[in-house]
Amino acid sequence: MTGQAFFVLTALADGPRHGYGIVGEVEELSRGRVRLKIGGLYGVLDRLAAEGLIEPDREEAHDGRLRRYYRLTRDGRGALAEEAELRAATARVVQTRLRLAGPEAAG
Amino acid sequence: MSGDLERRYRRVLRLLPGWYRQLWEEDMVAAFLDGWLTGDPEADEYISKAARPEWAEVASVAGLAGRLYLGGAGAPRRYFAWGQAIRRAVLTVMLVHATLALDVLVRTAWNRRLFGLPAPPASLMTASPGGAWPAVYYVVNIAWVVVFAALVLGHYRAARVLAALAIVPGLVALLQAQLTGIMPAPFGSWAFWVLLNLVPVAAMTAFHRDAPPAAPWPWLLALPANYLLVVVPLLVLQATGNSAWLPDFPGLCCLLVAVACLAHAPRAWSRQADGPGVWALTLTLLAAVAGAYRITTLSGYLHDPHLIKVSLAELLILAAAAALVTPDAARAQAATPAPPPHRRTMAA
Repeated sequence: MTGQAFFVLTALADGPRHGYGIVGEVEELSRGRVRLKIGGLYGVLDRLAAEGLIEPDREEAHDGRLRRYYRLTRDGRGALAEEAELRAATARVVQTRLRLAGPEAAG
Repeated sequence: MSGDLERRYRRVLRLLPGWYRQLWEEDMVAAFLDGWLTGDPEADEYISKAARPEWAEVASVAGLAGRLYLGGAGAPRRYFAWGQAIRRAVLTVMLVHATLALDVLVRTAWNRRLFGLPAPPASLMTASPGGAWPAVYYVVNIAWVVVFAALVLGHYRAARVLAALAIVPGLVALLQAQLTGIMPAPFGSWAFWVLLNLVPVAAMTAFHRDAPPAAPWPWLLALPANYLLVVVPLLVLQATGNSAWLPDFPGLCCLLVAVACLAHAPRAWSRQADGPGVWALTLTLLAAVAGAYRITTLSGYLHDPHLIKVSLAELLILAAAAALVTPDAARAQAATPAPPPHRRTMAA
């Protein structure tokens, strides 16, 4: 799973969001490191929908435009949990190794 | 209120295929404008007049358009067929590079009598000059084998980066030859560099994340098979001093593509080919490249009417053979674009 897909799924973990809502949430979650452009966002949404990890939720009118909301599917929730576990396990290994190497290894 | 900015962004979205715009355009426009507009009518009016989609935004739409036009799994059949045809054509050109590289390495090993090989016949003896350029030439040849293997095995990014690096020495050598009149290593002509280096490397963008992987074994086995069936007979002819009537490399490309078209024609005509004419479209693309290569190298033969006649005959054979598969290639164009299953769900 790519970093962008991981962040998009995470942005949808606590409820449905519309396109720009996902962009803002991803930026916040990544502390400003991932700034999705709209073309990039729809590339990711398209792919996640193709894999059955997200689906449309509802449409809401806002300023005369329809905003389409997306939500995680059951498979999407499972895939996100699995990926989060994998990343957490990797982070634990990295932290353990850094601790064992000690501060002098950094120099 | 959002009129001008919206119009500008919709103009950018025209880069995308029509079927995709039909599904996503309104959504994309809404998401884009959400990022710009503030809800304050005065500020929004000013923003709408002054703001333009950033280059990064345009690039992201262009990237998405490239991925959609050179379709991967799930794209409408027409775009998928084009994507597959370009991917197979690129793989074929990389197979040619890998085969040429294998030939260079075998000849070098033979010339240097490595692995206990006997001395080659005089007609295959080549001088092996020292210096940096021959070393670069060997490295580039090895790189082509790696690029081919990486593409076949699905390491697309590595293949793209390595291929982009592999074409640089050829360009430098050609520029040096342009300035000094001396080609430092046998990297080929400008036509070779543009048509068989630059174009296929640029076309490697078709190997994106959604591109279905190539069947690895047939492609990997094609390398030794190509070497045994094409290069070894040429080596034998050269070794036995019968190489005078052999076509030059552009001519050989034309004839090999023509043979491939003839071999595919019965399947194309019986409509048993895979997909909507994907191989026929691949062969048509390869015929176009081989034909362009032949035509652009004709200028070197202007002094010899016989060679011009031979080259024109090669072109004629190529055109006749390609004409046999072109109708099947056209099926790829005519195939009705059908939304893939997931899009029907999303649009529902």
